[in-house]
Amino acid sequence: MNIDFTELVWLDQHHEVSIDELAELSGLAQEELQHLVESGALIPTNPDEKRLSFSGHCVVSIRTLSRLKQDFELEPNAFALTLVFLERIRTLESKLRALNPSSSE
Amino acid sequence: MKFKDYYEALGVARTATQDEIKKAYRKLAHQYHPDVSKDPAGEEKFKEIGEAYATLKDVEKRAAYDELGRHPAGEEFRPPPNWGGQQGTQGYSFDDVDLSDLFASFSKGRQGRQHQDRSMPIPGQDYELATQISLEDAFNGTTVDLNFTVPEYDAQGQLKRMPHTFKARIPKGLTDGQKMLLRGKGGKGAHGGPDGNLYLNISFTPHRLFRVIDHDLYIDLPLTVSEAALGATVKVPTLDGAVNLKVPEGIASGQKLRIAKRGLPRQSQDNGDLYAIAQIVVPAKPSDKERELFKELAEVSTFNPRAHFE
Repeated sequence: MNIDFTELVWLDQHHEVSIDELAELSGLAQEELQHLVESGALIPTNPDEKRLSFSGHCVVSIRTLSRLKQDFELEPNAFALTLVFLERIRTLESKLRALNPSSSE
Repeated sequence: MKFKDYYEALGVARTATQDEIKKAYRKLAHQYHPDVSKDPAGEEKFKEIGEAYATLKDVEKRAAYDELGRHPAGEEFRPPPNWGGQQGTQGYSFDDVDLSDLFASFSKGRQGRQHQDRSMPIPGQDYELATQISLEDAFNGTTVDLNFTVPEYDAQGQLKRMPHTFKARIPKGLTDGQKMLLRGKGGKGAHGGPDGNLYLNISFTPHRLFRVIDHDLYIDLPLTVSEAALGATVKVPTLDGAVNLKVPEGIASGQKLRIAKRGLPRQSQDNGDLYAIAQIVVPAKPSDKERELFKELAEVSTFNPRAHFE
């Protein structure tokens, strides 16, 4: 049995991932990520630099997008719209939790 | 190995066309996909549906599945010798193998054959695990044991479910629903491909006193009528020992009192805050003396909490 002591990588707004890492972790192609950036659905932390970086919390949304693409065979044009809706749902759920701290949801 | 009825999972006949299979999958995916559905049982159901579709949408895999014959779902069975054109399946035990692993290895073998000359690296599969920790452990940092099984080839070349066990250090600073990544701790890569990753979703076990929003904590603060009316200093528990809180006079139920920096630690800033939410409570069965004093108060007081109704 393999027993290991492992350090974790945080996937949140305090940690950044490069476009190469985001592509590797999500399974989306760099061109697909570039398309998301161009459409404004995915915002890099360093938009003026050549090698783009992103907030670590993007990994979660982009992986969800990648799963939806694969499982629903999404058209490339539906990508950006799906990501916008995913982010909007996440923001609304977070606001809902803040409005009702006694709720377990 | 236990048999799974993929046609039944998708609700189609064994004679269904590829188009009918696709339509059935899409309909069920909209209903049960874990990123879409709120049904708590949806994830497990979607796993069945996704596994069935992954096999039946592929003509070659579907033919191999059909070759397995018909069995009642859950019945133990073995694939026939050299099943699916794969050499060397004779002598396999198939005891610790899931049908989905077999079809995954089937496609890997096919990819391997297609790219034999180039030895195309195949990355290992990513896995997601959920773990729960207590608020106290989130406050102090902790170590968790992670256990899961991954299909891997053993020394004899047999596909088996192998246990993976890790100890992972969870540092201070996370909050409920925190996602983390353990690089290279997923399934093994093939032909020199990188190992897959393990994604960890950390949630908090419900606490008997505190509720959590981001790094802030919330606690209900029961107060007597006299404490609320006159003000008081009361002891409030925190994750780092009790503190004295000054309750101002005239506080109403639902009002929040902020206790700065007594919430969960953040990675790079001060701790979140603790909010005590006033809850005015009265004795369910007042004693004779209490009843007498409440009556006296009612007679003397001119306070009308419903004045705005008029």
